[in-house]
Amino acid sequence: MTASDPKSADRFRFLASFLAGRSLGVTEAPAGEAAHTDGRFVFVSAGRSATEQRREVLVQGALLGAGSLDHRLVRALRGRPNVARRYLALEVRRVLAGLAAQIALAAALRPTEEPTTSSADESLEVARSRSMVAAPPEWFGVIRPSRLLAAPAAGPSAPASNRDLRLKFDPTDAPETQDEGDEPGERSRLLELFANPLSSNRLSDLFNKLLGNSRSPGDGPAGGQMAVRSMRRVESVGSSARPLPVPLHFTTSSTPGSAVGVGGALYPEWDVFNDRYRPEHCRVIDYLPSSTPDVSDAAVQHDEILRRRLCRLGLGPKVLRRRPDGDDLDIEALIDLFVDVQAGYSPPEQIYLERRKLARNLGVLILLDASGSATDTDPGGCSVHDHQRRAAATLALTLEELGDRVAVYGFRSQGRGAVRLPAIKPFGQRFGAAARARLNGLRPAGYTRLGAAIRRAGEILKAEAGTPNRLLLVLSDGFPYDDDGYESRYAEADSHKALEELRTDGVACLCLSIGASTPVDALHRVFGSASHANAPTLADLSPRMDELFLAALTELAAPQTRRPRASSG
Amino acid sequence: MTTFASKPARSAADAPFYRPVNDEVEVFRAAARRGLPVLLKGPTGCGKTRFVEAMAHELGRQLITVGGHEDLTSADLVGRFLLKGGETIWVDGPLTRAVREGAICYLDEVVEARQDTTVVIHPLADHRRELPVDRLGVTLQAAPGFQLVISYNPGYQSVLKNIKESTRQRFVAIELGFQPADIETEVVAHEAGVGIETARALVKVGAAIRTLDGAQLREVASTRLLILAGGLVAEGLSLRTAAQSAIVQALSDDPDVVRALGELVDAVLPRA
Repeated sequence: MTASDPKSADRFRFLASFLAGRSLGVTEAPAGEAAHTDGRFVFVSAGRSATEQRREVLVQGALLGAGSLDHRLVRALRGRPNVARRYLALEVRRVLAGLAAQIALAAALRPTEEPTTSSADESLEVARSRSMVAAPPEWFGVIRPSRLLAAPAAGPSAPASNRDLRLKFDPTDAPETQDEGDEPGERSRLLELFANPLSSNRLSDLFNKLLGNSRSPGDGPAGGQMAVRSMRRVESVGSSARPLPVPLHFTTSSTPGSAVGVGGALYPEWDVFNDRYRPEHCRVIDYLPSSTPDVSDAAVQHDEILRRRLCRLGLGPKVLRRRPDGDDLDIEALIDLFVDVQAGYSPPEQIYLERRKLARNLGVLILLDASGSATDTDPGGCSVHDHQRRAAATLALTLEELGDRVAVYGFRSQGRGAVRLPAIKPFGQRFGAAARARLNGLRPAGYTRLGAAIRRAGEILKAEAGTPNRLLLVLSDGFPYDDDGYESRYAEADSHKALEELRTDGVACLCLSIGASTPVDALHRVFGSASHANAPTLADLSPRMDELFLAALTELAAPQTRRPRASSG
Repeated sequence: MTTFASKPARSAADAPFYRPVNDEVEVFRAAARRGLPVLLKGPTGCGKTRFVEAMAHELGRQLITVGGHEDLTSADLVGRFLLKGGETIWVDGPLTRAVREGAICYLDEVVEARQDTTVVIHPLADHRRELPVDRLGVTLQAAPGFQLVISYNPGYQSVLKNIKESTRQRFVAIELGFQPADIETEVVAHEAGVGIETARALVKVGAAIRTLDGAQLREVASTRLLILAGGLVAEGLSLRTAAQSAIVQALSDDPDVVRALGELVDAVLPRA
């Protein structure tokens, strides 16, 4: 990742954002191209020294900040490179002169000539006229009207629109740099299915021609501030806020199902294509599997490293009585002491109450993928499902031994009407032989409607964990799919939305992908950058499990955007 | 045990330096006359504590400050029995002392404390103005000068910790923000003992960092941070070194962010 490179142009991003007064990224343009900006990124010429790149950033950022590159003005420059160059020369001089009082760097770098114009409109007038304008030095870069106009007009201060809330999949960190005038839209995922990597893409080309795939120019990630993981609760609700749909419970304490541990609700689903929830879309049922498990099949691997790593997590204060030292007097112990003293004994003076961080206050729900997609086997003959099942067993056992509240649920689906969460170990039960055997007896089948399963699991966690810190641990290949069109972008967006809802409600989420070969970027899209990890076996993750848990939990404690981090494979 | 400090009213000569921005001083005075509790909201290092000190000084009241932390118990506030010889002796906590003596009790970052602790202040914060000390079996009526002030940093707290509605609705809320550039320059110059030019450069850095809109930084450069940097300059360091160590390195541990901030600070500071 370029971000860790100390020479990366990314280091100028704060400077650029400050100059432009809005969030800007800085990246290197392809070799040979002059510095320019598209309103969201400043492209500096590749391979130059930091000093040269710095002044290019200064120029482009200042132009954006002064409004010289507003759509209204830039439109007049389209297709007229000569006027654009003259306008650039005039504007940079004007803008840098204006900034010189504010920013020392601008004062040091600005050209010696005094600006001849006093406003952007005047510069445009002069640029169009026949009067002499000194040619801009090379480091002024160029204005690229087509790229600027392709970017959305609204700055970050504009009110959030539907588009801001839409999930974007192309990584904004490294924008593709395209040649001027050639601005194709996003590649359609549907068309990618038709693309044949070996022969020519004739079929998809045909579709391309028939349907057209360029998107409307205003369809970008306007703002750039609305990172999905930086959500916060707010005091007042804006005018554009819409309520989250609530699940409709069809089992309550008064229905007969609850007596045998059956719960369920109709859950909404996020429709990314229409930017709305589909209310009461998925029927989710959780139940205790009724079949008698084969208790003989109940072996669970122990993982000492995991245990040691997790034992320091999720501690809350606990009052200890009869301590030799502490915050407060333990009146009972004091009375006993006095009785003893009066009776002629001299027992040790352990009469204080002490509060120490010992109580476990972490509740974990392990949600285990029990869908058919988990049947791929590795060379050792062990399927993904086997790996995940063992990991679930080890994790559940470790957490229970440590005194955390833990539950294990499987999940699978068969269309939106039948999302099932078999309760392998509910919060109220011990992870005993029966539960272990139930876990080992879980056979993969059906599909992965991840969003609905996460919503239900989150609700169980909130209702039954009873601890201040709650963590949803998803063991899955992270590849949501169901047979009624729940796939690729739609499914990923819905799952992501479900996780986002949970995080807003104070439930941390962590996805472990064990033994699966899901590409990291797919996990990234669904779970966010910091909340997933993949490894061939659980033992590979154990040494840093405390870190993973903590990362997921602290993401709640202090909402902040994280820079994408390469996760170990 | 908790740490708390009490300060007697000081003489006019060493009055705490505070420059009012809006009507916060009038609001505080009015609340003090009525004995109403005050909730100070504002980002870290914007002068909440200094404001309370200045007001306590102006009103001639003693100020008792308690810093909130997550293990702060109600016993830490109210008081506890200690054992001395064969007897137990009651020792007043800071809150009880303020109630008895009619001082201003300032609970800094009160949300950090456990929620059951904040409930102790409820009876003091409404019309009752009393503190039940259940361990002694008495209810103390607050002395006339007693006033409760709590501070709270809305942007900083997590979703898990927030001030309870029932708590916050008992308070007169005063919002403090960062001061306008002129006033902040004056404050930095006065507090750090540097020239007005140096102070202006530092304030410019602070303002530049504050425009970054929180996306990449958890906290922006506070006035306190600028004063710290100013202090380093007063000790003979160069402006750049001071800004680097007191501002840039203090704001982030992420090397990328540190580099990016360094570039920004470097661009804004006057050329050597």
